[in-house]
Amino acid sequence: MSAYYLGVDIGSVGGKAVIIDDNREIIASSVLPSGTNYSTTAAALKEEVLNSAGLKTADIKASGSTGTGGRNATADSYHGVIVCDARGVNLIFPSARTIVDIGGQGSQLIDIDENGQVINFNISEICATGSARLLQLLARILQLNIEDLGPLSLKSTRPSSFSTSCTVFLETEVITRIAQGDKPEDILAGIHRSIADKVSALARGVNIRPEVAVIGGGALDIGLVRSIEDKLGTKVLVPPNPRIIAALGAALIARNHPDR
Amino acid sequence: MPGIDNQTSHLYFAGIDIGSTMSKAAVVDAEGRMLAYVVGQTGAQHRLRANKLMEDTLHKAGLPLSDIAYIISTGYGRVNVPFADKQVTELTCHAKGVAALFPDVKTAIDIGGQDAKVLKIKNGRLVDFLTNDKCAAGTGRFLEVAAETLGLELNEMGHISLQSDKPVKINSLCTIFAQQEIISRLSAGEALPDILAGVYIAIATRVVKLARQLKVEVPVVFTGGVAKNAGMVKAMQDVLGVPVLIPDEPLITGCLGAAILARDEAFKLVQRGEYQAHRDKKLTEARIDFGEKSR
Repeated sequence: MSAYYLGVDIGSVGGKAVIIDDNREIIASSVLPSGTNYSTTAAALKEEVLNSAGLKTADIKASGSTGTGGRNATADSYHGVIVCDARGVNLIFPSARTIVDIGGQGSQLIDIDENGQVINFNISEICATGSARLLQLLARILQLNIEDLGPLSLKSTRPSSFSTSCTVFLETEVITRIAQGDKPEDILAGIHRSIADKVSALARGVNIRPEVAVIGGGALDIGLVRSIEDKLGTKVLVPPNPRIIAALGAALIARNHPDR
Repeated sequence: MPGIDNQTSHLYFAGIDIGSTMSKAAVVDAEGRMLAYVVGQTGAQHRLRANKLMEDTLHKAGLPLSDIAYIISTGYGRVNVPFADKQVTELTCHAKGVAALFPDVKTAIDIGGQDAKVLKIKNGRLVDFLTNDKCAAGTGRFLEVAAETLGLELNEMGHISLQSDKPVKINSLCTIFAQQEIISRLSAGEALPDILAGVYIAIATRVVKLARQLKVEVPVVFTGGVAKNAGMVKAMQDVLGVPVLIPDEPLITGCLGAAILARDEAFKLVQRGEYQAHRDKKLTEARIDFGEKSR
């Protein structure tokens, strides 16, 4: 019987859990809102992912946690999200050398080697600019899922331009634009450009080299992915389930160091 | 400065300031004395707001529009004041208005709904300034977000904060991160007054950092909507380490300055003998604007 490993990532917006087996195959994954009580969320995620894998707690040989609230999860070890992103991406795209992670409140750019080791990275630490936060707001206003924003934005012929890059001010400006009659697709396309600009500004000090993988909740929005491609001047890879990559990385680290 | 004579003594002048959140208008007489002012929300329709504000201010002053010799518009929405004779930046107007109320002022700090400004003033003239309009931290918006997060009124928040003797240090710079920090501080059991006092200190720290780049010299005048808040005023004085002077109505320094500048402009026109023709033209336009632009 195979051994199983659990990875849990409690981000600022979403919590994710992944179970892998000894062959590093993903057996199950689940995603829940992070909420305000991170340890409760972590427990709920664990229960949900175990159920979906048809496993029991005793079947988990080792577990790892990561993310803003990851220290509140009961796990054998905690790892920084940068390292987890790097391990997770390396498994899915061994050719990836640059990772763009667009999270709910922050983004990071990571330069990795062929073994998934981190060479360099840059985090948008001080402010939410360049995160997927505005996409969540737009999805709410337009009553769409974040996945549906991209296809809509690709219809834009005249992307809106905005006078600010501060996420707080942009929230107001988006609402003003809606009131002024800007088309939803144009507003979206404009916001995609604004986020892509800020994400690419993280490239200062980090070498961007192919292949580039885009992960995190922002990668669910194909319009944003296209804007990042335009901005970076290169095609990018997007994994099938881009939100769970850090949780996957935490599971992989647990598998490699089950004793920790 | 041209003097007051029998050609100018009966004239009145107006300033109108369309800010990101609040709009203000004032009317002054030939000696620069303020006769009336009105403050209201800006809303989305700037032109409509500008017309209504001017009407209300004239009504309060008991003057017909035809008695207003010159009008200057200022603020973020100043282009949307069709009846203005001239547009002037808010920095110039603000400096003029503050100096009119406090002739000795050396440093003026203004925190608006979406920006913060620090002005150095010497002998009533603007000599240097710094502004932040790029980031919501250190502006009135930061307070609005905090109030919304906590479900409190802005005024109420100020009074509650005054009960604090041990302000919490808010570590987040970004308004969005601070919002989350406020929630986690509350759930960690920190007292509300301490969290609120921490919020005011966070804003004051950010703005004072801007002010220190220009060297803070007393007297310091503190204006803008945020200066009405007792908690904010206390935090500002604590962080600055010196007392601040606050006008009776801290929102109107911009429009007052615009009105006084309107007087100066009109006096120049009088001196050059160009005043009369200009006045007739403007008033015709203004009347049409009031009639047709109001919806």
